[in-house]
Amino acid sequence: MNLLDPFTKYRYLLTQLVQREIKARYKQSVVGYAWVILNPIAQLLIYSFVFSIIFRFPTGDIPYSIFLFTALLPWTFLQNSVSASTQSLVNNSSLLKKIAFPREIIPYSVVFSKLIDFLFSLLVFIIFIIFSKVTIHSTFWLVIPLLFLQIILTIAVSLFLSAANLFYRDIQYLTNLLLMIWMYMTPVVYPASMVPIKYLWLYKLNPMVGIIEGYRSALFGNYFEVSIILWSIAVSIILFIISFFLFKKWESVFADIV
Amino acid sequence: MGECVRGHCLKTMQNNSVISFQNVVKHFPVQTERTAKELIPSLIRGKSWAKYHTILSNVSFDINQGETVGIVGKNGAGKSTILKLIAGVTQPNEGKILVNGSVSPLIELGAGFHHELTGYENIFLNGAILGLNKEEIESKLDLILEFSDLQEFIHTPIKHYSTGMTMRLAFSVAIQTESPILLIDEVLAVGDVEFQKKCLKALDKIKKEAKRTIIFVSHSESDVKNFCDRALLINDGKILVDSTPEEVFKIYNDFSKD
Repeated sequence: MNLLDPFTKYRYLLTQLVQREIKARYKQSVVGYAWVILNPIAQLLIYSFVFSIIFRFPTGDIPYSIFLFTALLPWTFLQNSVSASTQSLVNNSSLLKKIAFPREIIPYSVVFSKLIDFLFSLLVFIIFIIFSKVTIHSTFWLVIPLLFLQIILTIAVSLFLSAANLFYRDIQYLTNLLLMIWMYMTPVVYPASMVPIKYLWLYKLNPMVGIIEGYRSALFGNYFEVSIILWSIAVSIILFIISFFLFKKWESVFADIV
Repeated sequence: MGECVRGHCLKTMQNNSVISFQNVVKHFPVQTERTAKELIPSLIRGKSWAKYHTILSNVSFDINQGETVGIVGKNGAGKSTILKLIAGVTQPNEGKILVNGSVSPLIELGAGFHHELTGYENIFLNGAILGLNKEEIESKLDLILEFSDLQEFIHTPIKHYSTGMTMRLAFSVAIQTESPILLIDEVLAVGDVEFQKKCLKALDKIKKEAKRTIIFVSHSESDVKNFCDRALLINDGKILVDSTPEEVFKIYNDFSKD
């Protein structure tokens, strides 16, 4: 059991599977890969309309659309990764039954392909920021370690769900429901300051709260509690360790049950 | 003892043996419906709800380096399970399997093909799945194209290929691996007669040139007789006969008449 095998010995397989994910998705579509950018723009327009005209949230000096985009893009990355990797092992059952390789490469390839999508959609965000003339704080580089943390959390959840879905297909239906609940439990469309103080301790148990609040605070320099991010780090790492061990433990029967 | 992972061992074996099965038992869970109706009563009774079907019961054999061994038997006798165990995609429930050297499966060709990708893109994808790296695939590209005789269609998505064309491409890639152990499962049943002959010729060349070990599952009496030095007759999860192909088919044919 080697944590780094997918990135060393099996690196070429991993890159090929990432490429397959990306290339295959937009074949036979007119605008092709541009969907990666069109999707977040459409989402942004819809959410901006609903939440800045119909419901209004106080977002301080920052325009609502920028406030939203800062959280919506990384959230979409998490959501797409988790929902696609949950089905990834089932979809690749023919590979599982024929060829031996570390199985975590399959969910990893999904997460990395979604990461590439995310980086492209980030371009839209950067253009948006330039046009909106919002001042970006000098701590913006902190989004990089935060993104790294989010990837660890995403992989942790993806490994567990992809394996569990091999045993019970109910998982893939449940996942989408849970992702929706998880989104509303995370300050994506609204500011965390709106959460009633009574429930705040419970709310902060969600490791994505620290990560999303972290992105906003890194870019706009708002006040930020160090303890929530420490909690997110601890939860992400512990979940990753548990998931990885369970995945490796179950791996030997994947080919028998798929 | 060398390095062992769940009964699957890599070690330098005494004598010439590259594959050794020692009292191997393999069960498969009988796939009943995985619904709450079955799950809940079994949780209450506190035992596993899965029923098992024994595929291999106490199988032992050794295969020496450079041997070409045919595996013969009725459908469901356990032939493919033996190949899966050699490939390491599934683990024995009891007993030990020793495999010395990397294994390249030609089991159900093109397992990793993606129908939306072109033939060219699939060559790299499938090569990576079979354990080749980019340089190795590039250096063999001409051989692959020539053998498959698909140069004209190589930039066409393989969903427009006929089954025979897909199999030709898959076989052409698979034959390029340099693993010392090759597993071949019914692959020659596809393609036209001419291509089948070409495949057999290529395999024959591999057999003669390199001292590679080939495990060959086939229903074709003439292929096994022409190609293999030795054959195993499997019936009901046991090895009935381990002898020359002529001897094995004499018994198998008698036995099929009943």
